Amino acid sequence: MSDHHKDDGSRVETFDARSPSRRRFLKSMGASGLAAATAPAWAQIAQASQSQAEPVEPRDDGAPGEGEQQIQLIVNGVEHTLNVKPNAVLLDVLRDRLELTGTKKGCDQGQCGACTLLVNDTAINSCLSLAVSHDGDEITTIEELSQGDELHPVQAAFWAHDAYQCGYCTSGQIMSAVAILNDDNIGSDDASVREAMSGNICRCGAYKNILAAVQDARGKMKGAS
Amino acid sequence: MSDSIIGAGPRRIDGRLKVSGAAPYAADHYPDNMAYGYGVFSTIASGRVTNIDLSEARRSPGVIDIFHHGHFPSLYHTPSSMMQGNKVEETRLPFEDDRVYYEGQFVALVVADSLENARAAAYKVKVSYDEEKAIANLDQGVKAHGTQKGKGNHSRGNPGASFESAAHSIDYTYATPVETHNPMEMHATVASWRGDRLHVYESSQGVLQEKGALAKIFGIAPNQIEVESPFIGSGFGSKLWMWPHAVTAAAASRETGRPVQVVVPRQQMFTTTGHRPETRQRLRLATDNQGRLVSVRHESINATSFTDQYVETCGSVTKSLYSCDNVLVSHETTRVNRGTPTSMRAPGAAPGLFALESAIDEMAIEAGIDPVEFRLNNYADRDESQDLPFSSNHIKDATRQAAEKFGWSKRTPEPGSMREGNEFVGYGMAACNWEAMRFPCDARVSLRADGTAYVTCATQDIGTGTYTIVAQAVSDVTGLPLERITVKLGDTSYPEGPLSGGSWTTATTLPAVAEASRKAIEQLKSHATSGQGAFSDVAAEDLSFENGQLSHNGRAMDYTEVLGAQRLASADGEAHTGGADTSKYSFRSFGAHFVEVRWDPGISNLRVSRVVSAIDVGRAINTLTARNQVEGAVVMGLGMAHFEATDYDHRNARPVNNNYAEYLVATHADQPEIDVILLDNPDYEFNEYGARGIGEIGITGMAAAVANAVYHATGKRIRELPISKDKLMEGIPEPQRA
Repeated sequence: MSDHHKDDGSRVETFDARSPSRRRFLKSMGASGLAAATAPAWAQIAQASQSQAEPVEPRDDGAPGEGEQQIQLIVNGVEHTLNVKPNAVLLDVLRDRLELTGTKKGCDQGQCGACTLLVNDTAINSCLSLAVSHDGDEITTIEELSQGDELHPVQAAFWAHDAYQCGYCTSGQIMSAVAILNDDNIGSDDASVREAMSGNICRCGAYKNILAAVQDARGKMKGAS
Repeated sequence: MSDSIIGAGPRRIDGRLKVSGAAPYAADHYPDNMAYGYGVFSTIASGRVTNIDLSEARRSPGVIDIFHHGHFPSLYHTPSSMMQGNKVEETRLPFEDDRVYYEGQFVALVVADSLENARAAAYKVKVSYDEEKAIANLDQGVKAHGTQKGKGNHSRGNPGASFESAAHSIDYTYATPVETHNPMEMHATVASWRGDRLHVYESSQGVLQEKGALAKIFGIAPNQIEVESPFIGSGFGSKLWMWPHAVTAAAASRETGRPVQVVVPRQQMFTTTGHRPETRQRLRLATDNQGRLVSVRHESINATSFTDQYVETCGSVTKSLYSCDNVLVSHETTRVNRGTPTSMRAPGAAPGLFALESAIDEMAIEAGIDPVEFRLNNYADRDESQDLPFSSNHIKDATRQAAEKFGWSKRTPEPGSMREGNEFVGYGMAACNWEAMRFPCDARVSLRADGTAYVTCATQDIGTGTYTIVAQAVSDVTGLPLERITVKLGDTSYPEGPLSGGSWTTATTLPAVAEASRKAIEQLKSHATSGQGAFSDVAAEDLSFENGQLSHNGRAMDYTEVLGAQRLASADGEAHTGGADTSKYSFRSFGAHFVEVRWDPGISNLRVSRVVSAIDVGRAINTLTARNQVEGAVVMGLGMAHFEATDYDHRNARPVNNNYAEYLVATHADQPEIDVILLDNPDYEFNEYGARGIGEIGITGMAAAVANAVYHATGKRIRELPISKDKLMEGIPEPQRA
């Protein structure tokens, strides 16, 4: 029952969890650096505006409480300092602590994709990831995609193509689609997109429209570059 | 009525909220000081709780209280009447006693200050049981204690004698497993008490029914309760009625004095929030020499729980789809140690048409007639079960159009006769059918001085597009563009609207919304022609209103100016519209699915590659969302045909695949090419928009169409869902090994 709360421990040990050098390293070399090399121009603009912003929001209450660990999460360009329990899941921290409720919990077991978001530009199931393993990471959620009233091309395409019904899996579908469209290793044909999107279940079965939206957005994102 | 907006395909008015993650679902609400409830669930399916050891859990950080059968407020049963508006499917209250009737039943609820703390403490609750022998499935139930009579039975003529004397006949039994709704959003409740008033955010297809049930259960007046469900991560029937988690959340909130959130974990979405029950269906059909049906018998048994009788009315469609003088439809139930079943998308019809339409295919083959031809010869022209004409029935047209578009004429009838490379290609088809229902509804429309319209109705948008079609109806009557219309739904404080189920929301809600819009215009005209009004010299009935302009004899004024001049906030209309008059017509929707499957026996691969569906639902209000409904139902029907089954350990009745990885549903990779034809034959006998509703019909018949195509591809008749690959591998010789 508690399997999904176990930490795989693979990432935290490399750096001192609270070391500023780790954050600086990730900021310079990790997310944005890699994205700049591969992502289309549209995505780079979003990255740039993110790093310009990045106000520091001193959240939480100083020293961590008993059994807690202090971490920094750079969420949608805003740095948050948070004291979290070791069993706190990234998805729950974003929702319950930061009230970023756009990311949804569909199964809590990494099986449905509703909680998909980007960590350093890589799409992950945030329900499978402990918050403490993301100290210093840059996290992008659905809330960050649009620039004010202007929707991201993937969001606009989902709306235009009715690529949802209930809308509950939509944030995860969109975040996966953004990652896929920025991933040169994934083919642009329909079968490749279907395969790549298959970790995101849509129980309403709007797959036909989701595919149409992703392919439509592909053209628009390229057009922007 | 303007045709420009009704029957068009505008994108959804709530689309921006959905694509930007801003649509608020139940668990997205965080009232101040909210505590988190986390359930502890039974790990046996039958027996008693003998002890609950809380010593370790109580010491766990952040724990506020732990509820169980020895520590829970005394509550009341609801009469559970849909007509009274207080129905629940599981009438037993949570923690009512020490009995366990199914695995995954609430046995405790930990309330703590954070989700992490509640979950950690819940894992530390140690429950001891006195386990009894569980009834694990339908066969065990029938063997142990037989069956109970169900509802919806029907007979006419003499089906027994006509079967015996018929030229051709078949007698087969079909089986469908437990299927689980699995909406993407897990059931969730956020309950808060303020004094003796209860506020609930619920993921609900029926806020009014939940309000009514909570009022009965807590012994307070309905007007002390408010339930909100503006967005739900779908339900497919599992959220029509409140389940035990909502009662636990509301009770825990009252006891702890804090708002409490309870989310049902995915595993328990298979146990304590309903499911489509397991069925066994015996079909006996017979025809004369010409292939005309002379006897139809459809007898079904479904498994229900030990606490409640839920009847899956598998023969509901069989009564009237085909013309036949001699018909028997019967439903029985048997009790098993599972949670109470409930309606799942097209209850009765979905499993029932798998059996009926598979049997019709077998009957056609037995009689030596093409399955399409057989149906066209036997479809009923009137509802023989009620002796009423259909208000509108274009099933023959739907079948012909779909056959043509699909390319049915290219089919060679012999099984296994169509092959492309390594793949055997199978063509199959089946009819779709679903009742059209319409209930009373209230709605309110305000034409506001700022130039917008504000519409309220308590009904829900469960993902079908209700927000948008309500706005389309208001736009149709008032001429206001969609972007100036605000629609508010899913709140018990709004005028009474229907449960979102049964495909009746459109037909029920739109007439009330249209009538309320007309009344708002009437009030506007009354304001305009009153003593202080801009048209005080004109009679109200002489004033016209179009596209936001009031006018008379060439003098026109925007209605916002008229209201503004009198410092009035709005002109308002409230309406109540009635249900359907079912005394003159039988109202049903129709259609046909044509399916291509491909079977590669070498690598044991079966896939549905192509679907053409023609659907006759009267008028589609929004073609974009209507088409999406059918396409989605086809996908769910494909899952039903091919993948879906909740499996239970036959020794102890525990579900073994109650998660989203092992309960298989169709994914992106399973998506076939889908072509939906929406016939456009408005049914004005049913309502002024001619719309009958579209949520459910698309899943009906789909599993049979796949089964029939599989038979055509493989020569194997699979009568037990799902048509998993292992069932097709039976009889294939083992490969020779060196």
